[in-house]
Amino acid sequence: MNLSMPLLVLTALGAVTVYLMLPRAKPSLVKVGGLLGALTLAGLFAYLASLFAHNNTEVSLPVYFYLFAGIAIASAIGVICHPKPVYSALYFVLLSLAGAGLYVLLLAEFVAVVLIIIYAGAILVTYVFVIMLASQEVGGRRAAEYDRFAADPLPAVFVGFLLIGTVLLATFPKPGESLVQVNNPDTKMVAYLENKYAAAGELMPAPQSGVLPTLPTAGMAQATTATANTVPGNIQVLGNSLYGKYLFSVELAGILLTISLVGAVMIARKRTAGVSVDSERTAPLNQ
Amino acid sequence: MGSIELYHYLVVGAVLFVLGLIGFMVRRNLILMFLCTELMFQGVALNFVAFSRYHFNPQGQSFVIFLLAVAAAEASLALGLVVYLYKNKATLDTEAWSQLQG
Repeated sequence: MNLSMPLLVLTALGAVTVYLMLPRAKPSLVKVGGLLGALTLAGLFAYLASLFAHNNTEVSLPVYFYLFAGIAIASAIGVICHPKPVYSALYFVLLSLAGAGLYVLLLAEFVAVVLIIIYAGAILVTYVFVIMLASQEVGGRRAAEYDRFAADPLPAVFVGFLLIGTVLLATFPKPGESLVQVNNPDTKMVAYLENKYAAAGELMPAPQSGVLPTLPTAGMAQATTATANTVPGNIQVLGNSLYGKYLFSVELAGILLTISLVGAVMIARKRTAGVSVDSERTAPLNQ
Repeated sequence: MGSIELYHYLVVGAVLFVLGLIGFMVRRNLILMFLCTELMFQGVALNFVAFSRYHFNPQGQSFVIFLLAVAAAEASLALGLVVYLYKNKATLDTEAWSQLQG
C-alpha cells in the first residue's frame, strides 16, 4: 500500500476542516467543520496506530497519548477559530494542560510542571487580563467586527496545509522503506552509552524503565559519579545540564527577562498629562 | 493499539505549529496574533522534548526552558505594546494600523 496516500487525504480533510471552522458570517458551517474535524483526527490517529501495530516495544502508554494529543489539537483549532478572544485564551490554557500531559509521557516532568506554572499560570493570565482591558463590548454579546471575520482564510489555509503536507511526506518513510529501522532507538542507544561510559572510564548505571539514561558526566559533578550505581532522576539530569553546560545561557535568559520587564514597564506606563517623558528625564538636570 | 513512537509526537508538533501559523495569518486581532505565535512555540517545544526523550539527552528539555523564557519576554513586551496602541486608537484591528509603515 502506498504510505503517502492516506496522509494526503488526511491533510486535505484537515484543511477543509480549518477552513470551515474559521470565523465567518454563516455560523452553521462550524458544526459541519467540527464533525469533519473529529473524523479527520480519528482517521489520523487510526493511521498512526496502524503504522506501528506490529511493534510491541512499550515506550509510553498509547491511550493517554491519543487522549492528550486529541485534546491538544482540538483546543489549538479552538484557539485560532473561536470568534471571542477570551475563549481563545482559555482554549490555550487547555492546550498547555494537554501539552503538559504529553511531556509527562515523554519523561519530562520538570518541563511539564514549568509549562503549567508559566504558561497556564502566568502568560495566559496576562493575556486574559489584556484581552479584558482592551475589548469594548459594543453590541452586547456580539464579538468585535474584526474578530467575527477571518482575513483571507483560503490562501492562509492553503499555505499552511501545503507546509504540513510537505513536512509529513518528508518525515514519514517512503513507500518502499521499512518503518522498523527508524523505530525506538533503545537498544542502539544503550550500546552507544556503554561505549561512552567505557571511554570516560566510568561505570554505566543499569538502565531503568521510566528514567532517562544519561551520558557520562566526565568529572563535571562529583556528586553524580559518587553514586554511580544509582540512576540519577530525570530532574537531576536536567538540572546538571542547565546549571553545568548551560550556566551562562541561564544567566543570559535572566538578563533577557529583566530587560523585557523594564521595557514593558517603560512602554505601558501611564504618562502624566502635561509632563512628557523627555522633560521628566531632564528635570533633575535643570534644577 | 501499537506503541507510541517519535513520529506520533512529531506529527502532533507539526500540526500545532501549522495551526498557529494559519491563525497568525488569518486573525485580525492583535492579541490573538501573538497568542498564535505562542501556539507555534508549543509545537516546537513538543518536538524538542520528543527528540530529547528519543535520543536520551537532556539538552532538548534545557532548550524548552530557554524557549519558555523567550516566550515570556515576548509576551510581556508584545502585550505592553498592544496596551499602548489600544490607548491611542481604541481598536485591536490590524487594519487600523496599516498606515504605520515607513
